[in-house]
Amino acid sequence: MSQEIAVIGSPEFTTGFRLAGVRVCENVPDDRKDEQLDDAVEDVLADDDVGIIVMHDDDMPHLSRGTRKAVETSVEPTLVTLGGGAGSGGLRGQIKRAIGIDLMEDED
Amino acid sequence: MAEDVKPTRKNLMAIEDRIELSERGHDTLEQKRDGLIMEFMDILDQAQDVREDLNANYETAQRKLDMARAMEGDVAVRGAAAALHDHPEITTQSKNIMGVVVPQIESSKVKKSLDERGYGLLGSSARIDEAADAYEELLETIILAAEVETAMKKMLTEIETTKRRVNALEFKLLPDLYENQEYIEQKLEEQEREEIFRMKKIKAKKEEQEAEEREAEAESAVEATVTSD
Repeated sequence: MSQEIAVIGSPEFTTGFRLAGVRVCENVPDDRKDEQLDDAVEDVLADDDVGIIVMHDDDMPHLSRGTRKAVETSVEPTLVTLGGGAGSGGLRGQIKRAIGIDLMEDED
Repeated sequence: MAEDVKPTRKNLMAIEDRIELSERGHDTLEQKRDGLIMEFMDILDQAQDVREDLNANYETAQRKLDMARAMEGDVAVRGAAAALHDHPEITTQSKNIMGVVVPQIESSKVKKSLDERGYGLLGSSARIDEAADAYEELLETIILAAEVETAMKKMLTEIETTKRRVNALEFKLLPDLYENQEYIEQKLEEQEREEIFRMKKIKAKKEEQEAEEREAEAESAVEATVTSD
């Protein structure tokens, strides 16, 4: 089954992806992120046709704790954050927990 | 709790079997955990390279989009974006790394030629084309990052699970089993000692009885001799 890429973020963030042909874009204005970002992420998470979610790393703190955990640990669709280091998207914490040491230490 | 176990030979044998099985399982799980960590380290190197490419491509794409916006205007860029009719698609297959099923993502319609974009050659400018190109390249890197980072997440989950199992065997199950084994062995030894003591007592009593009987017999024999004389 073929799936699509979804982009969630401000209109400035999603425009470029639209130019590359991405159809599923959830536009959330900067001043409404605290109220609307959670719903946008939950809608995309529930969509079976979406295989990859793209978000900006700076938008992650706007998410509620539950939604953030759900999107960070989700495997299908999987989250790719832009603008962050190698340990972004919750990977750094998971590595620390599983391996026991902070392998991303040099990245920040 | 060791006191909950009945101190019988049958239970001791059952516990010894469980200890053997648990020790074997513990060794196997430890090997699996180490193997997974080694595989994970390979993926981690790859992921760090992909992340660097991703950040570099994102910066380039952003710069080109900003340039297109500045030169052509936001409306032109949005208009070009709205005209696209081919959308990138991904298909997921899976491969197995030490029992962990990780995805292999294949993409189609990500990189498009000018005529495939749908906004026409005259209706756009070179800057919009460059921005579109840069974002298409960024999408390709995002797909690669998604593949690598999903594999990492799955492997980390498996490492965590295996680690928890190893710890449960090492620090809970095996010590409990050893404690039970020791308790039963001690109880059985105690029972054995009691049995030996009891047997010795019985033997002593029996010997005493026999001695008394022999004495009585000897006395009656002496008496009989005296009366016959």
